[in-house]
Amino acid sequence: MTRKFLTLAAGALMLGMSSMSALAAGKTIAVSWKTFQEERWKTDEAAIKAVVEAAGNTYVSTDAQGSAQKQAADIEGLISQKVDVIMVVAFDSDAILPSFKAASDAGVKMLSYDVLVEDPNALYVTFDNVGVGRIIAQEIQKVKPEGNYAFIKGDKGDPNATFLFQGMMEVLKEALDSGKVKNVCETFTDGWKPDNAQKNMEQCLTSTGNKVDAVLAENDGMASGVVAALEAQGMVGIPVGGQDGDLAAINRVALGTQTVSVWKNARELGKVAAEAANAIADGTDPTKIAGVGKFSGGAKGVEVNAILLAPTPITKANVSAAIDAGHITKDQACAGVAAGAVPGC
Amino acid sequence: MSKQQNSSANPALTDDGPIRRFLNATEIDTRMIGMIVALFAIWCAFDIASGILRGNFGGLLGGSFLTPRNLWTLLNQTASIAVMTTGMVLIIVMRQIDLSVGSMLSLVAVAGGVLQVYQLGPSLGVGHPAIWVLAIIAILALGTAIGAFNGYLTAYAQIPSFIVTLGGLIAYSGVAFLLAKGETVAPMDKTFKVLGGTIPASWIGPFWTWTLSFAACALIVFAIVNGRRQRVRFKFPLRPVWAEVTLAALGSIAVLGAAAVVNSYAWPPKLAENYAKENNITIPPGVEDKAGDAICMAGDAVVRCLEGLTLGTGYAAPVLIAFAIGAIMSFIATRTRFGRYVYAVGGNPEAANLAGINTRWLTVKVFALMGFLVGVSAIISSARLDAATNALGALNELYVIAAAVIGGTSLAGGVGTIYGAILGALLMQSIQSGMGLLNLPAAFQNIVVGTVLVIAVWLDQIYRRNVK
Amino acid sequence: MSNIPLIEMRDISIAFGGIKAVDHASVDLYPGEVVGLLGHNGAGKSTLIKVLSGAYKRDAGQIFIDGKEVAINNPRDAKALGIETIYQTLALADNVDAAANLYLGRELRTPFGTLDDVAMEAATRKVMHRLNPNFRRFKEPVIKLSGGQRQSVAIARAIHFNARILIMDEPTAALGPQETAQVGELIKQLKSEGIGIFLISHDLHDVFDLADRLTVMKNGKVVGSARTSDVDHDGVLGMIIAGKCPPGAIPGPGALQSAA
Repeated sequence: MTRKFLTLAAGALMLGMSSMSALAAGKTIAVSWKTFQEERWKTDEAAIKAVVEAAGNTYVSTDAQGSAQKQAADIEGLISQKVDVIMVVAFDSDAILPSFKAASDAGVKMLSYDVLVEDPNALYVTFDNVGVGRIIAQEIQKVKPEGNYAFIKGDKGDPNATFLFQGMMEVLKEALDSGKVKNVCETFTDGWKPDNAQKNMEQCLTSTGNKVDAVLAENDGMASGVVAALEAQGMVGIPVGGQDGDLAAINRVALGTQTVSVWKNARELGKVAAEAANAIADGTDPTKIAGVGKFSGGAKGVEVNAILLAPTPITKANVSAAIDAGHITKDQACAGVAAGAVPGC
Repeated sequence: MSKQQNSSANPALTDDGPIRRFLNATEIDTRMIGMIVALFAIWCAFDIASGILRGNFGGLLGGSFLTPRNLWTLLNQTASIAVMTTGMVLIIVMRQIDLSVGSMLSLVAVAGGVLQVYQLGPSLGVGHPAIWVLAIIAILALGTAIGAFNGYLTAYAQIPSFIVTLGGLIAYSGVAFLLAKGETVAPMDKTFKVLGGTIPASWIGPFWTWTLSFAACALIVFAIVNGRRQRVRFKFPLRPVWAEVTLAALGSIAVLGAAAVVNSYAWPPKLAENYAKENNITIPPGVEDKAGDAICMAGDAVVRCLEGLTLGTGYAAPVLIAFAIGAIMSFIATRTRFGRYVYAVGGNPEAANLAGINTRWLTVKVFALMGFLVGVSAIISSARLDAATNALGALNELYVIAAAVIGGTSLAGGVGTIYGAILGALLMQSIQSGMGLLNLPAAFQNIVVGTVLVIAVWLDQIYRRNVK
Repeated sequence: MSNIPLIEMRDISIAFGGIKAVDHASVDLYPGEVVGLLGHNGAGKSTLIKVLSGAYKRDAGQIFIDGKEVAINNPRDAKALGIETIYQTLALADNVDAAANLYLGRELRTPFGTLDDVAMEAATRKVMHRLNPNFRRFKEPVIKLSGGQRQSVAIARAIHFNARILIMDEPTAALGPQETAQVGELIKQLKSEGIGIFLISHDLHDVFDLADRLTVMKNGKVVGSARTSDVDHDGVLGMIIAGKCPPGAIPGPGALQSAA
């Protein structure tokens, strides 16, 4: 049974690695999580664990609990346990660099997961975050090509907040230059907290006299705060974009209070990263893995090997996609929605 | 009579100018006056600055801060922290600290959310009237229980409250995470949301705002008259009549002024339009003017205009809750045996013990009260956000403690007032909201709030030294 | 004086972490009598008295009032039995006013259950007038008062509730000569009202002036007791320093055995 499963798993691995699949067993693959304080990481973990164990490797993990120091200590511990590959979701992408170097020096293969760490020896596996920002902007622009846009950005210390904004700006640059779209508010949100986003949105509405036609929030939690602020002004229904595919956000998309939630299918990312980790553990050169390209869009411009996955925008039209993928139940997605009003409900 | 007055006054102060005489006669807390002046100064500065940077939106000084709308929003934004800080005052007065209030808020809010959305919603049917009642009871009970647990560990297991609640700060947010599986729990029950202040159902409107405000004025006058009657009965020195009248007048003006401000914030036009249509209220014809708050008909379209249909919002539920909690907590602190004991323990724990006060049980009660208030805040903030997340209360403990300290609560224990702490909360939120209006990044807000905290305590030290 | 003592503490023992602070000590007190308790710091006199006032719980021994055994497990019990204490530290809550301190633990309340501050202040004015007629600072926290004024508040608290037994732990330590004399007068007056007083003091003169009897403690044990009229200063000093009982004193378990 195990053997059969192993073969199947090996078959699923990408071309060029299959010949080495027999050697895969017995390696240890570790993941250093930055925190479990956010909705999505449990899903990632389940996906990674499944793929790692299916290949006969061992999965271990550490939780840095939102502390750069603890993460450094975690990685040190993993190195001394002689694991083969460490996948890192960095809490602080600069502070963790020495740990990456120490691991590489000790012969441990490094992979940065979701959060970019600018170490040339580490493989970066992520969703195309600039792409996420692009998709949010595109979806909003589809429904509201002209008008006043508000931007509710994430925490200023998180590089993703900037990537997302870059992506939005790429799409909107032309419209902004021509004056079709006006940037009326643009605020960072401490800790990506929804209640802070709500207050920022309230202040934005006050300071513009409600002259806001669309809101681009950088995640769904903050979008929930934005929608609450809009509701107080009777402005629910103006386009609001977010990302993460939060269950409550998909429900809002179905209800029509949020336009788009760009969903980074964590299962997909976890699967791809774990497959890559299995391959690297066996000694495959990262550049030989399918889908790997060069990426140098970080703050320091360091060129790293990277796999960039394309995310899925969930709009009213494809709420069913998230339901079909098992990400959300039909009851959760369609709570409060009249049957048949939205495809999939 | 006048002889008694002179003999009771501090002899060093009898030769002072009119302001000092006024303050002595009315016995107004000079520290409170300082805070109110600072508050108004900050408001004016933000109004001017927002006018220069972002344009005029009808503010008193040409900006968008001193508008009914912003002040109304400011009150709503302050409510949650204000409620918690009233409990924190008693905790700090008793020489304890509670660092866990933020995490506790996340935990009980998430528990309430899970109960509404995942348990009661599916089993009773979404919108069932029992849902919001059960959710509120559960949240308040859970908050009280967790608070009592903190208090028990502090009082009976004799672990310093700093450690107990530091542990709670770390642990409770973890429990909140597990409970919600890290997800944002939404949406809240429709009736529960009324307590958040974001929907028209939670605005009491001008009629009730005026009614409550006049009732509050009557209470102020009654309290002053009653106090005077008592002092006459025991032949104590009396305040001069003009001072009593001035106090009643100032209190009433403040209450009625606040009512006038919130009543002059009109319903957002879209909501007013929906309401008028649903209730068959005729929208008068008029001329479009985007600057106006009223709505009227220009041809077939509903437009904004200067004169037409307006609906005043009045106070929103969270603000009323905060006022009520503030009044009740002030009463508890100053008029009940429980409050007296809390202050006595803060002044000298050993003396309180020797006076036969059960200080341990008192500690449990104070922490349980704090937990209850965290429950109230959890209801307000999750109803307001229409969602519960395990990040909802993060860092709130710092704002709650800072508000109490800015409001004059001494970390050495024994000293602090409820109204001071509420003013402290309002002052901090004013700074944050004001900087939000100026579109300044959160980093600046943090710098300013932190600086204000330190300066406030520094000024307080100078004030206390000089008063002595 | 009746034959039944107002209060009798019999064979009281209490230990803190293995150290016997009070070791089988017995003292008694008759109505209208002042008994001086003497001894070095750490001799156990304050500890013994805190057992009586309910601040400490004894490990062994019995307490009788009017010949009947009573249970004193906390300060509330002691107060209910009419035992009031003026502590050396005064035990005042510094941040509240005189009235709040006077009534601390037994506040007057209105029919609505709220604090009746006005009634408490009125009563405080009355009792303070008796002790310190010039006192006016009823609205200020007691931390702002002078040492003598604070002492008055502590004494007022002890005598205001119809005490039968008064414990005074170094009542004159913080006072000037005039105020000390005032306290002396007060003690004599209370005595004449039939109140029994335990007076703890370092000052032999005070004790000889005010006390009818004295009991000396050393290392937690009672050295001996005597009528003040039966012993002199030197004899008492010998008891305090060496534990040696002069003639005229009744030796206790802590007396130096003169056998040899």
